[in-house]
Amino acid sequence: MRRALVAASVIPLAAVALGLAAASRLAGLIAGIAAVLVLVWAWSAVGRNFRSWGYVERADDLMVTHGAMFRKLTVVPYGRMQLVDVKAGPIERAFGLVNVKLHTAAATTDAQVRGLSPADAGSLRDRLTALGEAHSAGL
Amino acid sequence: MPGSEVSGGPSDGGPPEETFRLHPLTPIALGGRVLGLLVAITLLGLAERGSSGGPRWPQVIVFGGLAVLVVVRGFITVAVTSYHLMGGELRIDNGLFQKQSKRIRLDRVQSVDVLEPLSARIFGLAEVKVTTAGSERAAVRLRYLALPEARSLRADLLGRSAGVGEGSPEAPERVLVTVPHGRLVGSVLLEMISWRLLLLAIGPALAVVGQSNGHRATAGIGIAIFVWFAVLIVHAVWQRLNFLWEFTVTESPDGLRVRHGLLSTSRQTVPPGRIQAILIHQPMSWRPFGWVQVRMNVAGYGRRGSTKRATLIPVIDRQFAERLVGWVLGGVDLDDIPLTRPPRRAAVRAPLWWRAQGAGADDRVFVARHGLLSRTIDIVPHQRTQSLRIAAGPVQRALGLASVHLDSTPGPVKTRAANRDAGEARTLLDRQVERGRAARRMATPGGQVPAPQAT
Repeated sequence: MRRALVAASVIPLAAVALGLAAASRLAGLIAGIAAVLVLVWAWSAVGRNFRSWGYVERADDLMVTHGAMFRKLTVVPYGRMQLVDVKAGPIERAFGLVNVKLHTAAATTDAQVRGLSPADAGSLRDRLTALGEAHSAGL
Repeated sequence: MPGSEVSGGPSDGGPPEETFRLHPLTPIALGGRVLGLLVAITLLGLAERGSSGGPRWPQVIVFGGLAVLVVVRGFITVAVTSYHLMGGELRIDNGLFQKQSKRIRLDRVQSVDVLEPLSARIFGLAEVKVTTAGSERAAVRLRYLALPEARSLRADLLGRSAGVGEGSPEAPERVLVTVPHGRLVGSVLLEMISWRLLLLAIGPALAVVGQSNGHRATAGIGIAIFVWFAVLIVHAVWQRLNFLWEFTVTESPDGLRVRHGLLSTSRQTVPPGRIQAILIHQPMSWRPFGWVQVRMNVAGYGRRGSTKRATLIPVIDRQFAERLVGWVLGGVDLDDIPLTRPPRRAAVRAPLWWRAQGAGADDRVFVARHGLLSRTIDIVPHQRTQSLRIAAGPVQRALGLASVHLDSTPGPVKTRAANRDAGEARTLLDRQVERGRAARRMATPGGQVPAPQAT
């Protein structure tokens, strides 16, 4: 999905390069090369970011990891979950993707599983809710 | 909760329901400053002679009318609000056209406060504030009751919350800490002395520069800035002193009680086991005196009120604070917990202060320390840890470092073991997960050991 966004950003970049090329050959060439480099980097960064998302359902807790540049690993014990949120923004909906977010009593808990298919998200939510009830430990 | 049943009396065979109403003087106390101002303007209008020789009728009518409106609104609020105690539940019904009914399960109560703002205290009234886990807005405020009624309601609520039973009398209490006036004033003044003093210096500097260059306007602005900052600082000092005056912490079977306030007073009660995390903080200017302050996370206090309501002790000796905190957390000896520093290469990311960072744990609590000039020790029991995180930014990853965060409910305590070796961070995380699981399994209530005595 992000790759699509990167692809979409080609258009304004190309326009800028063409505009500069009209002004002077050299500037246009430099801008063009820079744009291509940025695109290649962004393409691979998106790929790394995409691959970095992951989650494991363990016996007593859910482990979520994400981030290529800023790496994060979050562990949420099932007994601490206050609610499970299933969300999808307009662009995500267009690609048929859904996010599952876990909330605890702490506002700083940052546990989100992104880019699941709606069916997977639904079943994950149901499993988590069931596990949360079984392990419930109050505050 | 809005939308739940609105009128509903006691169900058949259920425990008896007690119904109470707010005090009839409430509208005046609720009006507070605004009402006082309106009445004052009206009276002035009546007393003063206008151009026609009589009282200034337009002024009297407008402001008097507003005052009457405020009072009438207050009376309607009082008339349509009632609260009901039934078994382990508190229900509040209010609303004239749009009825609202809130139910609170008392075993979920995180803290019960009796507040006496000045405008209510004049009339011998008090507010009872019941905080539940969740947002600050979820707190229930009963404004206002007569003070004795408020106190017995608090005792009753706490009794029901602990499952002791209904109509329990006020539990006996034992004083743990009182903050002497001199020390409070000294500590507040010292805390204010810091970078704020630089702000204070801007004004005179401008004035001197302006004067020597013959710019009278610049000099004037400099003096104005000085006065402005001085007023701000005096106001801040006054607010803190007014809030923290006569600060007393007592221990009773229904929890820790915190009492304070000069003009407006407040009494908080935090039932046992409701403290989610604690920190001991030492501002730089307090170090010669060995003073520290103790703050806590309680679910439902929220972030906004955290600076004020989250204060457990505003100023106290360090040794005593450590013993007290250990006791509050159920007999933990903070001195026995070995803290380890980050590896030396962390100096790249935290140049000098990496030496001040440290973390360690025993089987009950996790302890993290940070701050080179102002020092802070964060303590969170394994049993209360909400979730765990490892985070590593680009610089940290290049150095092979990572930070471990222990998430707690919103409040001043944010525990983290900063800049650990990446491998160690992972081991730490796994061990914390294990400790948390063990602690949740055998939940032990805190505060069974006798409390330490002030020396």
